[in-house]
Formats: sequence, C-alpha cells, structure tokens
Amino acid sequence: MASAFALTAQDLVKDFGAKRAVDGVDIAVPEGSIYGILGPNGAGKTTTLRMLLGIIDPDSGTRELLGTTRPRSVSDRVGYLPEERGLYPSMKAREAIAFMGALRGLNWAEGRTRADAMLADAGLGHAAGDKIKKLSKGMAQFVQLLGSIVHRPELIVLDEPFSGLDPVNQERLEALILAERDRGATILFSTHIMGHAERLCDRLAIIAGGRLRYEGSVAEARATLPIQAHYTPREDSPALARLLPPEAVRDNGGYVFDVPDSGMEALLATLLECGHGVAGLSLERPSLHDVFVKLVGEETVEKMEAEADAEQAA
Amino acid sequence: MMSHFRQAAVIARRDFIATVATPAFLMFLLAPLFMLVFAVVGGSGARMIADSGDDAQRIVVVADAEYGARIEAADARIRPTFPGAIAPPALERRDPVHEAGGAGAEAEARALFSESGIDVAAVLYDVPDNPRLLIGPGADRDADYLALLADTAARDARSGVPPGEPVTDIAREPFERTSATIGGQQSLGFTALFLLFLLTLLLAGQTVSVLAEEKGNKVIEILAAAVPLEAVFLGKLIGLFGVALLFIAFWGTIALLGFSALPDSQTMLARLDPAIGFGPFIGLGVVYFAMGYLLLGAVFLAVGGQANSMREIQMLSLPITFFQMGMFGLASAAAASPGSGLALFAELFPFSSPFAMVAKGASDPALWPHLAAIAWQLLWVSITITLGARWFRKGVLKSGPSVFRRLGEALRGKAA
Repeated sequence: MASAFALTAQDLVKDFGAKRAVDGVDIAVPEGSIYGILGPNGAGKTTTLRMLLGIIDPDSGTRELLGTTRPRSVSDRVGYLPEERGLYPSMKAREAIAFMGALRGLNWAEGRTRADAMLADAGLGHAAGDKIKKLSKGMAQFVQLLGSIVHRPELIVLDEPFSGLDPVNQERLEALILAERDRGATILFSTHIMGHAERLCDRLAIIAGGRLRYEGSVAEARATLPIQAHYTPREDSPALARLLPPEAVRDNGGYVFDVPDSGMEALLATLLECGHGVAGLSLERPSLHDVFVKLVGEETVEKMEAEADAEQAA
Repeated sequence: MMSHFRQAAVIARRDFIATVATPAFLMFLLAPLFMLVFAVVGGSGARMIADSGDDAQRIVVVADAEYGARIEAADARIRPTFPGAIAPPALERRDPVHEAGGAGAEAEARALFSESGIDVAAVLYDVPDNPRLLIGPGADRDADYLALLADTAARDARSGVPPGEPVTDIAREPFERTSATIGGQQSLGFTALFLLFLLTLLLAGQTVSVLAEEKGNKVIEILAAAVPLEAVFLGKLIGLFGVALLFIAFWGTIALLGFSALPDSQTMLARLDPAIGFGPFIGLGVVYFAMGYLLLGAVFLAVGGQANSMREIQMLSLPITFFQMGMFGLASAAAASPGSGLALFAELFPFSSPFAMVAKGASDPALWPHLAAIAWQLLWVSITITLGARWFRKGVLKSGPSVFRRLGEALRGKAA
C-alpha cells in the first residue's frame, strides 16, 4: 500500500563535533501538501532538510522519502533548492535551468523548452537568453528555483526560498508554490518568516535549538493557545479586577485575558449583573506569531524579525 | 550507479564546454608554442654565447713547419670523427722561438695561456723528440686529442706514408637497420614517461582552479546538494580530461606531422620500435595518461576541496607537485633498471604505476602486465575518488572553517 506521506522522519539526531545541531526531530509530510519548517537561524532547519534528502546522514533516527529509506536513490523525483545561492555566472538563464534538469535526468532539449515556458510564466521570459551575471540577485535566485523544479518532481524541498527576494519576487514564489501544489507535488520549505508559513502551509514544524517544538497544522498550532478576550467596561472600578480571570492585564483602558475554559457567557453575565457593562468586547484567535513566541521565547522572535527586516532592507 | 554516471556526464559536458568555448582556451592551447618560442630564442642566445666562446678556444702546437704539416694532416683526418658539440678546439701552429728541450721552450708554451684574443686549452711543445703537453684547467679531453695527433704524426713519420694518406683502402657500404635498438627502446620509454609526467602535472593541476572558481561562486554547494559528490568529482575529472585530450590531440597531430616531414623518419621509427609495437604502445600511453590524470586530478580535487581561497589552494598544490616529482623520479629509476625490485615497486605503487608501466611497454613485449596494471590503477582511481569525495563532502556541506583552519585553531589551543 502506498504511503500517505511523501516524507517521514523519526527521532533524527545530528552532531557536529560537540554541538548537537538536530536533537530528536520527528516530521511527517503528507503527500500533496505544503509543509513548512519554521525556526530561527541556526535552529537546525538546513541540517534537518539535508538529512531528510540523504545529503548527509543522521547520527541516529530513521527517515523515509517517497517510499524508500535510501533517499539518494529517488533524487531524480525530488527538486531541491539549497540555502546557498549559486549559479555559473557565464551560463545563460535558459541553459542554467536546463543544466539543473539534466542533472535530474531531463533531456537537455526538453529542459530548454521547459525553461523558456517557466521563465515566461514567471514574467522573466525576457531574461531567458541573458547570462546569469547580467541578472539581478533576485532574478538569479528565481532562475535557480526554476532549475530545481524543471524536471517536475514529486517532492519539492526549498531551503529558505524567500530569503533575499524582493516583495514582488516573494509574491511570484508564493504563486509558484501554490501552482506546484495544484500540479500534485508535495512542497516542503523552511523559513524564518512567519507570514509565508501562515499563508501557505497546510502543516508545519517549529524547530528551535535543534529540537522540534511543534508539529501539526497552522490551525492546530493556533488552537494550542486560548482565545484572547479584549474587554472594555462601561464602569470601571477596583472591584472589577476581582471578577476577571487572574491573568487579566490592563490594555488601552480595558482588559486582555484568555477566554476561560467554561466560555464567556458566565463571565459576561456576572459583569453585567455587577453593573460594569460592556463598552467593547472582541475575541481574538492567537496568531502563529503568538504561538511561536510562546514556544521559542520573545527574545528569539525579536531576533528573527530583526534578521528578516535586515534581509528585506538588503 | 547508472544515474551517477549520467550525472557525471552532465557535469563533464558543462565543464568541457565552459572551458573550451572561451577565448582563454586558445591561450591555453597555444601555451606550448610560447614555451617553444622562448626555448628557441633562449636556447639560440645561449648557443651563440657558447659558440662565441668556443670560437676563441685553441689547441696549440709549437713546432716548425714540417712537423706542423704532419700534425695538421693528422688533424684533417681525425677531426671529422668528432662532429658538432664534441669537436675539439681549432688547432693552431706556432713557430718555436726557443730551442726545444730548454727552459725557454717551456716558458714560451706557458706564455701562450696569457695571450689575449684566444683561449688556449692545451699546448704541445718540445716536438718531435721529447713532446710535452701543457694542459689548461678542464682541458684533459683536448689534451688527449692533441696527444693523439702527435702520436699519429709520429706513426706517419716512421711508416714513411705521406702525412694524411690512409694506409688501407676500406670499402664502405651503408646498412639500413630495420630492428629496434635496446638504447632506442629505453630512450622511447623514458621519453614517454617524461611526457606523461609533464602532461599529467600540467593538466591535472587545472582541476584545482576549477574547484576554486566553483567554491567562490557557491556552485559546488549547489551541485553537491543536487547530485552525489562522487558524481560531481567524476564529472569534473572527465570534463577536464576531455579538455586535456583535446590539448594532446592538437599537439600530438602537429608533432606527428612534423615528425613525418623529417627525411629519415622511417629509419628513426624502426630504431625506436617499442617491444609491444607502436599501436599498442600509443594506446597504452593514452590509457596510462588517463589513469595518471584521474589519480592525480582526484588528489588535487580532494585537497582543493578543503581550501577556502586561491592562496590556500596554491599552498596545498605545492606538496602534491613535489610528491608527483618524486613519483617521476621513482618511475625513471625503474625505467633505468627494468626487472629490479625497485622497478616492481614503482609498477605497483599506484601513483608511480602509470609512468613506470608506460616505460615498461617500450622494452618488455608482454601485454598481460599492462592489463593487470590498468585494473589495479582503476581500483585506485575509484578509491581515490571515493575517499576524496567523502573528505570533500565534509568540507563543502558542513558550515564552518576549513579542515586546515580547524587544525590551526586546534594546534593554537593546544599550545595555549
């Protein structure tokens, strides 16, 4: 029976010298899904991807890629965009894509034909005959991405694909990822930018310090935190605080607190009964950002965001 | 496995085209021409300087006209047997001022060494009764020649034959040799060995520069991520091997055309005929070049993979070059003493084996040792590529400083 997962891994461990880069990571990527690995820089995302693809071997743990435990044997069915960006500067964009396809068993002529079509679809048709050294950094990066999927792989693995792209190319990439999913491919990508993961992923894994902190859908991730209530009373008084859950904090003349397990109905009835009234009430589902902050800590998230901003500015 | 070869072929194709389809390749192809031009210009300059010095050299006989005529006749007969570079200095006769046998005659001979305008190598005086030779530094051979002239002149005088006349009339008949000489075969073996060494050293070293370029633009990391490193290694070696073959084919054709144009090329070929025949010898030469190239190229690639800059690559290439020169020395010694223990060692040691075996082909008719040697060398090519790729993988796919920097840091840490 065919596996419902394109890729699975159990308890992956990898040490580099005295440093444990990956510490017991479990991942299961369903076929036809978009799966994200989210984590700060140095979290072990790249090492995890390399182990999953068989580029490096884990020190312990098991992995299965497209139904085999020997990942390199199915490398022609996989498209991989590594974290490093690099192409032959003197190669034309079309040739560079065809070359990457040829490495995966695609005929050169067919590779060139597909390259022209893919470049045109991505709005880069004018650059097909240009040498890589003449392209902008973002365009060259896009060419490399197209090269990694030109052979129409079943599984596409992208390591930090959004890194270094301007907003226009990021949008292009998001559209491309969705189109590849619609084609039937499974997509696994790593990122440290939460927006992309939140918009694109069916499921995701959050990794920090080499350890898996969360694995599941984005909705499930958000459901791990309680819904937050933003309540503004008509009549405030010191007695009000005693009626609210103990963790309630003041915020812009109102209070913010987690919705109790029993729901809001009983609390609202009490507040109305005691004459505090309701000037404003909103219920907010926690964002992926909130989940992430809870899992990896505010300091790490701030660092990640600063890195993302710096990258964007560059 | 087939996919490895297919991937290697894709990389080889890319590297071959990228190398050949550039203007720089023309310079590379014509590089030996520059070397040749410089060698000819330099050589002829040195020759001119040497010739001008040789023109001034003299061997002198202090004698009267009658004795001088005999010596000159002997010189005319014997000198043609010492052609070109081995010809003795020109003979010059001086009339004696002092009586032979006296102190004045010796002083007269000594004074000739101080004479300006000529460089006197040796002086014969006190002739004919008590001939003596005054020999300049390093002129023993010239003195021997002068002694031979004096002796021949004395024999002529005693035999009564007119000076310069032959005593016997010898019939001469030229003979065209059709079989190889031992010396010719050994010379051919050594020439092939030297050529193989030179080409291997020059062309295999190129693999390092390719690697340096690809490390610089990060392409090697992309390749390493996309295909097994063994395939990357093999592809790079094959691609540049193609470039090397093109280079050899170009210059080989020119050399062959040049050789065919020589008037006595057939006779020379007959003298050089290798023991296994010319066809197999050339075929084996190509195979041994391939083996030597792949072995050395793999070592260059593996070591180059650990370096992070051109400077590090250059520093790392030097020991490999010295190692290769050592292999050349070993193979040369083996070629000079075929059948010895040293020759067997050179034939078995993987890095000297291609050189030693090509020399063996010139003088040993057996073919089976070559088949065994090729299988043995292929095994070592595989081992070198596999080990090199594994070592290289660590250098490329693991972030952090190079092996050498880590080693340096470890040593500094230990010292501290």
